[in-house]
Amino acid sequence: MILIHCPYCDEKRPEIEFVYGGEAHIARPADPATMNDAAWERYLFIRNNPRGRHHERWRHSHGCGRFFNAVRDTVTDRFETTYKAGEPRR
Amino acid sequence: MSDVLARAEPIPTAPWVGRDVTIRLAPPAARFSLRARKAADVQDALGREVTGKIGTTINGIACLGPEEWLWRAPEGTATPANARIAITDIGHRHVGLIVEGPRAVSVLSAGCPLDLATFEVGRATRTVFETVEIIIEREAPDRFHVEVWRSLSVWLWMVLTTTAGD
Repeated sequence: MILIHCPYCDEKRPEIEFVYGGEAHIARPADPATMNDAAWERYLFIRNNPRGRHHERWRHSHGCGRFFNAVRDTVTDRFETTYKAGEPRR
Repeated sequence: MSDVLARAEPIPTAPWVGRDVTIRLAPPAARFSLRARKAADVQDALGREVTGKIGTTINGIACLGPEEWLWRAPEGTATPANARIAITDIGHRHVGLIVEGPRAVSVLSAGCPLDLATFEVGRATRTVFETVEIIIEREAPDRFHVEVWRSLSVWLWMVLTTTAGD
Protein backbone atom coordinates (compact mmCIF):
# COMPACT_ATOMS: atom_id res chain seq x y z
CA MET A 1 0.00 0.00 0.00
CA ILE A 2 1.35 3.41 -0.99
CA LEU A 3 1.15 6.10 1.69
CA ILE A 4 0.60 9.65 0.46
CA HIS A 5 1.31 12.69 2.60
CA CYS A 6 -1.74 14.97 2.59
CA PRO A 7 -0.54 18.56 3.06
CA TYR A 8 -3.85 19.56 4.67
CA CYS A 9 -4.18 16.66 7.13
CA ASP A 10 -0.40 16.81 7.53
CA GLU A 11 0.06 13.06 7.76
CA LYS A 12 0.64 10.04 5.57
CA ARG A 13 -2.57 8.36 4.55
CA PRO A 14 -3.35 5.21 2.57
CA GLU A 15 -3.58 5.60 -1.18
CA ILE A 16 -7.13 4.17 -1.27
CA GLU A 17 -8.40 7.41 0.31
CA PHE A 18 -7.14 9.46 -2.65
CA VAL A 19 -8.23 10.07 -6.21
CA TYR A 20 -5.82 10.98 -9.00
CA GLY A 21 -6.56 14.29 -10.70
CA GLY A 22 -4.32 14.49 -13.75
CA GLU A 23 -1.40 16.78 -14.51
CA ALA A 24 -1.03 19.83 -12.28
CA HIS A 25 -0.39 23.50 -13.04
CA ILE A 26 -2.49 23.65 -16.20
CA ALA A 27 -4.13 27.06 -16.15
CA ARG A 28 -7.44 27.49 -17.89
CA PRO A 29 -7.05 30.05 -20.68
CA ALA A 30 -8.45 33.41 -19.68
CA ASP A 31 -10.37 33.93 -22.91
CA PRO A 32 -11.16 30.65 -24.72
CA ALA A 33 -13.25 32.43 -27.37
CA THR A 34 -10.12 33.95 -28.90
CA MET A 35 -8.28 30.61 -29.23
CA ASN A 36 -8.07 28.52 -32.37
CA ASP A 37 -8.89 24.82 -32.38
CA ALA A 38 -5.26 23.69 -32.20
CA ALA A 39 -4.54 25.77 -29.09
CA TRP A 40 -7.78 24.64 -27.46
CA GLU A 41 -6.92 21.02 -28.23
CA ARG A 42 -3.52 21.52 -26.58
CA TYR A 43 -5.19 22.87 -23.47
CA LEU A 44 -7.81 20.14 -23.27
CA PHE A 45 -5.96 16.99 -24.25
CA ILE A 46 -2.22 17.35 -24.69
CA ARG A 47 -0.21 16.45 -21.59
CA ASN A 48 3.50 16.12 -20.89
CA ASN A 49 3.41 12.46 -19.84
CA PRO A 50 7.03 12.54 -18.66
CA ARG A 51 9.15 9.57 -17.77
CA GLY A 52 10.30 10.47 -14.27
CA ARG A 53 9.33 13.54 -12.29
CA HIS A 54 5.65 14.36 -12.78
CA HIS A 55 3.63 17.21 -11.27
CA GLU A 56 0.12 16.00 -10.70
CA ARG A 57 -3.07 16.73 -8.81
CA TRP A 58 -4.54 14.44 -6.21
CA ARG A 59 -7.68 14.73 -4.13
CA HIS A 60 -8.00 13.39 -0.60
CA SER A 61 -11.60 12.48 -1.38
CA HIS A 62 -12.17 10.04 1.51
CA GLY A 63 -10.41 12.33 3.97
CA CYS A 64 -10.35 16.11 4.10
CA GLY A 65 -11.76 16.37 0.58
CA ARG A 66 -9.11 18.78 -0.72
CA PHE A 67 -7.20 18.87 -3.98
CA PHE A 68 -3.44 19.27 -3.67
CA ASN A 69 -0.39 18.88 -5.88
CA ALA A 70 2.25 16.19 -5.79
CA VAL A 71 5.54 15.40 -7.46
CA ARG A 72 5.72 11.71 -8.25
CA ASP A 73 8.28 9.73 -10.17
CA THR A 74 6.42 7.83 -12.87
CA VAL A 75 9.14 5.18 -13.05
CA THR A 76 9.48 4.29 -9.38
CA ASP A 77 5.99 5.48 -8.30
CA ARG A 78 7.65 7.28 -5.37
CA PHE A 79 6.17 10.54 -4.14
CA GLU A 80 8.90 13.17 -3.87
CA THR A 81 6.74 15.79 -2.22
CA THR A 82 3.19 17.07 -1.90
CA TYR A 83 2.05 20.65 -1.41
CA LYS A 84 -1.14 22.65 -1.11
CA ALA A 85 -3.08 23.80 -4.16
CA GLY A 86 -2.13 27.33 -5.13
CA GLU A 87 1.46 27.04 -3.98
CA PRO A 88 4.21 27.47 -6.61
CA ARG A 89 5.48 24.54 -8.61
CA ARG A 90 8.26 22.56 -6.89
CA MET B 1 -53.55 8.13 8.42
CA SER B 2 -50.97 7.55 11.06
CA ASP B 3 -50.57 9.99 13.89
CA VAL B 4 -47.26 8.66 15.11
CA LEU B 5 -44.19 8.22 12.98
CA ALA B 6 -42.27 5.21 14.20
CA ARG B 7 -38.52 5.41 13.88
CA ALA B 8 -37.26 2.58 11.66
CA GLU B 9 -33.59 1.69 11.96
CA PRO B 10 -31.82 0.11 8.99
CA ILE B 11 -29.88 -2.32 11.18
CA PRO B 12 -30.71 -4.33 14.30
CA THR B 13 -31.14 -2.28 17.47
CA ALA B 14 -29.96 -5.14 19.67
CA PRO B 15 -26.18 -5.21 20.25
CA TRP B 16 -24.15 -7.88 18.54
CA VAL B 17 -21.99 -9.48 21.19
CA GLY B 18 -19.02 -11.56 20.16
CA ARG B 19 -15.74 -12.67 21.61
CA ASP B 20 -14.06 -9.58 23.14
CA VAL B 21 -16.06 -7.19 20.95
CA THR B 22 -19.53 -5.66 20.94
CA ILE B 23 -21.04 -3.87 17.95
CA ARG B 24 -24.14 -1.78 18.43
CA LEU B 25 -26.21 0.98 16.93
CA ALA B 26 -25.44 4.34 18.55
CA PRO B 27 -28.39 6.17 20.10
CA PRO B 28 -30.14 8.63 17.78
CA ALA B 29 -28.33 11.97 17.59
CA ALA B 30 -28.50 15.28 15.78
CA ARG B 31 -25.71 15.90 13.30
CA PHE B 32 -24.69 19.11 11.63
CA SER B 33 -22.22 19.81 8.87
CA LEU B 34 -20.49 23.10 9.65
CA ARG B 35 -18.60 25.09 7.04
CA ALA B 36 -16.67 28.24 7.88
CA ARG B 37 -13.37 29.89 7.05
CA LYS B 38 -11.96 29.69 10.56
CA ALA B 39 -12.48 27.61 13.68
CA ALA B 40 -12.98 30.88 15.57
CA ASP B 41 -16.11 31.61 13.50
CA VAL B 42 -17.60 28.23 14.43
CA GLN B 43 -16.65 28.86 18.03
CA ASP B 44 -18.46 32.21 17.99
CA ALA B 45 -21.52 30.70 16.33
CA LEU B 46 -21.92 27.79 18.74
CA GLY B 47 -20.47 29.35 21.87
CA ARG B 48 -18.25 26.37 22.61
CA GLU B 49 -14.64 25.46 22.06
CA VAL B 50 -13.93 24.15 18.55
CA THR B 51 -10.71 22.59 17.31
CA GLY B 52 -8.99 23.88 14.18
CA LYS B 53 -6.69 20.87 13.92
CA ILE B 54 -7.80 18.54 11.15
CA GLY B 55 -8.48 15.01 12.33
CA THR B 56 -9.24 15.83 15.95
CA THR B 57 -12.39 16.34 17.95
CA ILE B 58 -13.38 18.51 20.93
CA ASN B 59 -16.86 18.85 22.46
CA GLY B 60 -18.33 16.41 19.95
CA ILE B 61 -17.20 18.62 17.05
CA ALA B 62 -14.75 16.94 14.70
CA CYS B 63 -12.61 18.92 12.30
CA LEU B 64 -12.77 16.81 9.12
CA GLY B 65 -10.89 19.07 6.74
CA PRO B 66 -10.06 22.68 5.98
CA GLU B 67 -13.20 24.71 6.68
CA GLU B 68 -15.28 21.60 7.52
CA TRP B 69 -16.57 20.30 10.84
CA LEU B 70 -19.03 17.61 11.91
CA TRP B 71 -21.00 18.27 15.08
CA ARG B 72 -22.67 15.34 16.77
CA ALA B 73 -25.19 16.84 19.19
CA PRO B 74 -27.83 15.35 21.47
CA GLU B 75 -31.02 14.21 19.72
CA GLY B 76 -33.46 17.08 19.35
CA THR B 77 -30.87 19.87 19.20
CA ALA B 78 -32.30 22.65 17.03
CA THR B 79 -30.27 23.95 14.11
CA PRO B 80 -28.49 27.06 15.40
CA ALA B 81 -29.27 30.17 13.41
CA ASN B 82 -26.14 31.94 12.30
CA ALA B 83 -25.38 33.92 9.19
CA ARG B 84 -21.60 33.75 9.43
CA ILE B 85 -21.18 30.01 9.04
CA ALA B 86 -23.02 27.45 6.94
CA ILE B 87 -24.91 24.90 9.04
CA THR B 88 -26.64 21.92 7.44
CA ASP B 89 -28.67 19.36 9.33
CA ILE B 90 -27.45 15.93 8.17
CA GLY B 91 -28.94 14.01 11.09
CA HIS B 92 -30.96 11.67 8.90
CA ARG B 93 -28.10 10.93 6.54
CA HIS B 94 -25.90 9.04 8.99
CA VAL B 95 -26.25 6.37 11.58
CA GLY B 96 -23.60 5.66 14.17
CA LEU B 97 -22.13 2.28 15.05
CA ILE B 98 -20.16 1.69 18.22
CA VAL B 99 -17.45 -0.94 18.11
CA GLU B 100 -16.21 -1.68 21.59
CA GLY B 101 -13.96 -4.18 23.27
CA PRO B 102 -10.36 -5.42 23.30
CA ARG B 103 -10.75 -6.64 19.70
CA ALA B 104 -12.22 -3.37 18.36
CA VAL B 105 -8.97 -2.36 16.61
CA SER B 106 -8.54 -5.77 15.06
CA VAL B 107 -12.15 -5.95 13.79
CA LEU B 108 -12.04 -2.45 12.25
CA SER B 109 -8.62 -3.08 10.74
CA ALA B 110 -10.19 -5.79 8.60
CA GLY B 111 -11.49 -3.09 6.27
CA CYS B 112 -10.02 0.24 7.36
CA PRO B 113 -6.57 1.05 5.93
CA LEU B 114 -5.58 3.45 8.73
CA ASP B 115 -3.16 2.31 11.40
CA LEU B 116 -5.81 2.19 14.11
CA ALA B 117 -3.44 0.84 16.75
CA THR B 118 -1.69 4.24 16.77
CA PHE B 119 -4.87 6.27 16.17
CA GLU B 120 -5.07 8.27 19.38
CA VAL B 121 -8.11 8.73 21.58
CA GLY B 122 -9.81 11.98 20.58
CA ARG B 123 -8.93 11.67 16.93
CA ALA B 124 -11.66 11.64 14.28
CA THR B 125 -11.37 11.46 10.53
CA ARG B 126 -13.14 10.55 7.36
CA THR B 127 -11.75 7.40 5.79
CA VAL B 128 -12.98 4.20 4.13
CA PHE B 129 -13.99 0.75 5.28
CA GLU B 130 -13.52 -1.52 2.26
CA THR B 131 -15.47 0.48 -0.32
CA VAL B 132 -17.69 2.44 2.05
CA GLU B 133 -16.90 5.93 3.29
CA ILE B 134 -16.98 6.25 7.06
CA ILE B 135 -16.08 8.79 9.71
CA ILE B 136 -14.24 7.12 12.54
CA GLU B 137 -13.64 8.51 15.99
CA ARG B 138 -11.70 6.89 18.80
CA GLU B 139 -13.64 7.68 21.94
CA ALA B 140 -11.64 5.44 24.28
CA PRO B 141 -8.74 3.00 23.90
CA ASP B 142 -11.19 0.18 23.21
CA ARG B 143 -14.18 2.12 21.83
CA PHE B 144 -14.66 3.50 18.33
CA HIS B 145 -17.62 5.43 17.00
CA VAL B 146 -18.22 4.89 13.29
CA GLU B 147 -20.50 7.22 11.32
CA VAL B 148 -21.79 5.82 8.06
CA TRP B 149 -24.41 6.78 5.54
CA ARG B 150 -27.71 5.20 6.50
CA SER B 151 -28.17 3.21 3.30
CA LEU B 152 -24.65 1.77 3.57
CA SER B 153 -25.00 0.80 7.22
CA VAL B 154 -26.74 -2.49 6.37
CA TRP B 155 -23.67 -3.66 4.50
CA LEU B 156 -21.25 -2.32 7.11
CA TRP B 157 -23.16 -4.06 9.90
CA MET B 158 -23.03 -7.32 7.97
CA VAL B 159 -19.28 -7.07 7.34
CA LEU B 160 -18.37 -5.99 10.88
CA THR B 161 -20.40 -8.70 12.55
CA THR B 162 -19.13 -11.34 10.12
CA THR B 163 -15.52 -10.25 10.71
CA ALA B 164 -15.99 -10.16 14.46
CA GLY B 165 -17.49 -13.64 14.36
CA ASP B 166 -14.47 -15.13 12.62
